[in-house]
Amino acid sequence: MASPANLLRLCARPTRRLQSLRAATVQKSALRRTLTTTQWRPAAARDTDDNTKEAAEEFDQVFSNPGEFLRSYLRDDKITDEERQLASRMLEDWKNVPPNTQRQFNQLTDNINTSVAPLRRPVMAKRDSFWNSEEVDTDLITDEIGEDDFEEDDMMSFGHAKLEEHREFREYARLAVWEMPLLSKLAKPFQPPVDGEVLRFRYTTYMGEFHPADRKVVVEFSPVDIPGLSEAQQLKLKKLAGSRYNPEKDIIKMSCERFEHQAQNKRYLGDLVEKMVATAKDPTDMFEDVPLDTRHHKFKQQIKFPKEWYLTEERKKELLAQRKQALLLDEQKRTEGAMIDGVQTIQHALLNAKPVEEAVTVARGRPIRGRR
Amino acid sequence: MSAPNCLRCLVRPSAGIPSSTAPRTAAHAAARTAAPLAPLAPLAPLVPRSAPFSTTAANARPKKEAQGKDSSKGHVRAGKRLTLGKFKKDRVAEKGRPPAPGERKAYRKRITLSNDNAIAVPWLTDLSPTDLADPANIAKVLALPDEVQDQLRASEAFKPTQCWGMFRKPAVLVRKETVDVMSRMQASVAKRQTLRLALTGDKVSGKSMTLLQAMTHAFLNNWIVIHLPEAQELTTACTEYAPVPGTEPAQYMQPVYVLKLIQAIKRANEKVLAKTYTVSAHPELPQNIPANTPLLALANVAKEPDAAWPVFQALWSELTAQGANRPPILFSLDGLAHVMKVSDYRSPAFELIHAHDLALIRLFADALGGGVQFPAGGAVLAATSRSNAPRAPSMELALAQREAEQAARQKGDVSKDGSKAGVPQRDPFFRGYDDRVEAVLRSVQVLRLGGIDKLEARALMEYWAASGMLRATVDEKTVSEKWTLAGNGVLGEMERATLLTARV
Repeated sequence: MASPANLLRLCARPTRRLQSLRAATVQKSALRRTLTTTQWRPAAARDTDDNTKEAAEEFDQVFSNPGEFLRSYLRDDKITDEERQLASRMLEDWKNVPPNTQRQFNQLTDNINTSVAPLRRPVMAKRDSFWNSEEVDTDLITDEIGEDDFEEDDMMSFGHAKLEEHREFREYARLAVWEMPLLSKLAKPFQPPVDGEVLRFRYTTYMGEFHPADRKVVVEFSPVDIPGLSEAQQLKLKKLAGSRYNPEKDIIKMSCERFEHQAQNKRYLGDLVEKMVATAKDPTDMFEDVPLDTRHHKFKQQIKFPKEWYLTEERKKELLAQRKQALLLDEQKRTEGAMIDGVQTIQHALLNAKPVEEAVTVARGRPIRGRR
Repeated sequence: MSAPNCLRCLVRPSAGIPSSTAPRTAAHAAARTAAPLAPLAPLAPLVPRSAPFSTTAANARPKKEAQGKDSSKGHVRAGKRLTLGKFKKDRVAEKGRPPAPGERKAYRKRITLSNDNAIAVPWLTDLSPTDLADPANIAKVLALPDEVQDQLRASEAFKPTQCWGMFRKPAVLVRKETVDVMSRMQASVAKRQTLRLALTGDKVSGKSMTLLQAMTHAFLNNWIVIHLPEAQELTTACTEYAPVPGTEPAQYMQPVYVLKLIQAIKRANEKVLAKTYTVSAHPELPQNIPANTPLLALANVAKEPDAAWPVFQALWSELTAQGANRPPILFSLDGLAHVMKVSDYRSPAFELIHAHDLALIRLFADALGGGVQFPAGGAVLAATSRSNAPRAPSMELALAQREAEQAARQKGDVSKDGSKAGVPQRDPFFRGYDDRVEAVLRSVQVLRLGGIDKLEARALMEYWAASGMLRATVDEKTVSEKWTLAGNGVLGEMERATLLTARV
């Protein structure tokens, strides 16, 4: 019952002057379900509005032809004289219509009523049905039978997908060619920050999409840039910032995503910076006993290729001279005979070594005398 | 619901075994004959003796003999029994005599100072008293005289990790730093001052070896040498300790170690001690020592650990007696980090004892900190160790500070505020600093040992080649190669790259 077609039919009901439909409405209200997902609407019949009451009275009769309607209309006392004249003239005209045509008109009305009757018949919920499973779904456009059968008269779905892809490419190509150049009109030249602008804000946008991070605002500033701070006050500001202070870059970086909107977060950060600067200027406690804490920061050593290692022309000459010197030293040693060769030394030592006396086996105990 | 089987007998409805093939026991047969009309009797032959299929392994089936035997003796154990050491039983290894306690360690720690298989280097000369302080000897290898060898061995200056056993005779390379240290020592003795120096540097860069050279120099010049070879022996709670009576806060003596030390001092400095005489009497010792007794006799009093500490105190007071005729003194220690921290000893209240509360270490720390004046001057040397070193952040910081100050002074930044700029400072958020350590190291000199230069490397490699330990021609190419391999001439690394490779 909750299908859109039925809803439409029910909405259209007041404009129809048909008794059967009206009856259906009444019956419907009696048969309201205990549980429904349809949005509740007040019953139309109970309204105390005058117009609706009139309309309800008009519904009481069903006219099979214009003559009946006009007669009933003329019986009404509330109509004006002009209307009465018009209606009686029209009634005269109807009476002049040949009776055959009148009969045909009546027959046509009957035919229409009989053929439309099943549509108007109220759908009665069966008592034993399980969630109205046997109800016909009337809002289906097709009957879903044999829909997915391939009739050999089309491309495969891959082909369609490929075509779709191609269309998409072309769409973006059109965008790129025709619309993107227009963006350049919106471009603004970069203005470097002037002296007074010491806070640098960073925002995040996801191109209009909702994202939990798009409210986040980050502010960066260097304590040195804040005007009117002495060295001690700058140091206090750094200490106040705690782990938000980067000692390598000398920059304090803070962020806020506490509030719902970017502007609120930015406002908060701006206020906070002002508060910090005011506190830093406050001379009551300058935190002199607290050393600046940099434990949160890992200092990175920038390793560079040493200047002395570059092979410049001078360095090459120097190396060449050193090598020449070394070769000369070797040559000098060689001519003096002072060059020491480990292998030769060993061979020489082996040649000159005194031969070790061969071990003589001596029998243990007394020599055995011939005794038999 | 009815059960598919007869619940009384729980017979499995597996048909197929005819009653004639099914093995019947005597009991069954008896049952049949005795009560043929019993309800269970007709079913009995149908009881299958074996299941149509089984998950039991085939060899786990009870054997036929076991079945046939009377099984009343006990249950038949099926399956394979676990037998351990089946094949090992009859094999008894020849073990021989196991090494006695301490024998393995003695073998590991033995120090071999000569090797008869090594080739004698013809041009090697013995060190003379002035050689080590002579800049002309830089980049020369000189041999240790025999007498000094004994003295060094007595004071445990040699280490088992050093490669003495590869050469015919122990010899040392004179490097620039050696001459630097020795000339500083000579200068301080000339002014009757005490040189207080900490040797530091990377691993195997020759710190202990420089200490050994300093000791050699001291022995050759008739100094008295007191050497603490391994600082960790004093602080890792491996030797006995006892509170020194009458000290507040309590100090602790280490009698066994001190006895060993006195004996080492006695053996190493016998000649000098015999010529040095006491200035005051020492009646408190176990053996009365009157004035004008040789110090050797005083040292000889220490026979038992009980008397060791008083004897050492007496010896120390005699050696540092002002105005007396005393030789210069070298007091040295290896492994400085071990004495610059809290030791592993515990007080009676079970609190850890600071190393500087151990009496012997306090003596050294005082001397290193400048609290002791040697009558004829001398030197207090300490070498750090990098491979066996506990964390001593205060020591590291103090040494780095001294080094930075020295560098600033050399540059000429004399201004006091300016010198603070490059000097490393304490990390304010680190807790592990030790004020006592920093107080001791506040005014020491620091000498950092790095790699040797190529000239020195060449001299060393020529000595190696002449000893037959290096099978190569020692030319500039080889020297450069080894020097570079050794991280710009780190001595120990050169040894590793050249001597300790098994490439033949």
